[in-house]
Amino acid sequence: MNRPGLLTACTAMLRRDLTLAWRRRGDIAMPVLYALIVTMLFPFALGPEDTLLQRIAGGVVLVTVLLAMLLALDAMFSSDIEDGSLEQLVMAPQPLALMLGMKILAHWITTALPLIVIAPLLASMLHLPGAVIPVLLLALSLATPLLSLFGAVLVALTAGTRRSGMLLALMLLPLCVPAVIFAAGAVAAAQQGLPWLAPIIWLAAALVLAVVLAPLACAAALRIALDA
Amino acid sequence: MTAANSTASLLEARALSFLRQDEPVFAPLDFQLRAGELALVEGDNGSGKTTLLRMLAGLLHVGEGELRWRGEPLQRDRCAGEILFLGHQLGLKADLSPCENLRIAAGLHGCRDGASVAAVLAEIGLRGYEDEPVRRLSAGQKKRAALARLLLLPATLWLLDEPYANLDRIGIALVNRILETHTAAGGAALVTSHGAVSFHGGEPRHIRMHA
Repeated sequence: MNRPGLLTACTAMLRRDLTLAWRRRGDIAMPVLYALIVTMLFPFALGPEDTLLQRIAGGVVLVTVLLAMLLALDAMFSSDIEDGSLEQLVMAPQPLALMLGMKILAHWITTALPLIVIAPLLASMLHLPGAVIPVLLLALSLATPLLSLFGAVLVALTAGTRRSGMLLALMLLPLCVPAVIFAAGAVAAAQQGLPWLAPIIWLAAALVLAVVLAPLACAAALRIALDA
Repeated sequence: MTAANSTASLLEARALSFLRQDEPVFAPLDFQLRAGELALVEGDNGSGKTTLLRMLAGLLHVGEGELRWRGEPLQRDRCAGEILFLGHQLGLKADLSPCENLRIAAGLHGCRDGASVAAVLAEIGLRGYEDEPVRRLSAGQKKRAALARLLLLPATLWLLDEPYANLDRIGIALVNRILETHTAAGGAALVTSHGAVSFHGGEPRHIRMHA
């Protein structure tokens, strides 16, 4: 018997989830539209004063992007549990944590990446200075995978329960807070011309930790969810 | 598989039972399955047939008793990839075609020597539906697409939960033929069913379940 290598299995998994997302492209557009609409409403509600908008721009874009990600988080494992794909995945001769890591990566690519791509547009709508946008993008590209990984663990933990959406939001809130504080801190520091590297490095450290631990926690939680 | 362990028991259960909220789901079971054997799991609705199969697949914890795989206590990583489970949920993605579904399965499990996705789909009777999304197939065709996994992936023990459900007469004969080929090649299978089995490769073992 010839077992496929890890690389083959990982690409098969990644390709599967990306193909599935592509077949339902409408779902990918949802978070992007949401972020666009929310950001567009801010100047209307607060008035088009440059100084006020500039001051809140970084925070608004960050929070909007993270909230938009929440919309798609719930569906990360639900369809796999419903159609029995998860059972097949658990029984496959591959490390489950790694395969789930690939699923989380695919989820990040399909939900967070489009949001990061439109983030400069969102930021310029709120008159964020052009020089700060690279820092915002850097902060987003570290904070969004962090949220995907934390979210995946919580989705896995609530997988067995019905109406898990509310529970998920409640549990995710405290985990989001540090990511938001550090990311917004970096953007605010850059805006004031202060050194912004330290909060970015904190975010990166948290991300490294989450990349290693979150898939393992996910695997354990999903095994428990199936064992019922 | 070597000749030595083809006669030894592949799977052995001793006083096996499953507890749900400290209540046993079925009476303790003792059975043995050797390579080349087919076992029929019989019992009324709710007698725990699916629970037994999910437990053997490693999806549920063994409640009480012992489960041995090739003479040693069954552990997930030791039998990974050797056991194939086909449950009520077929494990097919509705947005993908049978062909894509099988390719993913092969990417995770590997392929049998000489088996190819196209050949397997033709054998299972899905010629012409290879690239149709699974959601557009009929219930019987979906079942066939899931059964195609059995032909494509390398595994010794098949755990089939109602493999005949939704199939037409030709489909049922097909499943019987697949089971015969599998056991003749030294594989083993546990099948739950309500009696459509006409197995010609020797007398199947019967596992009777009581609630």
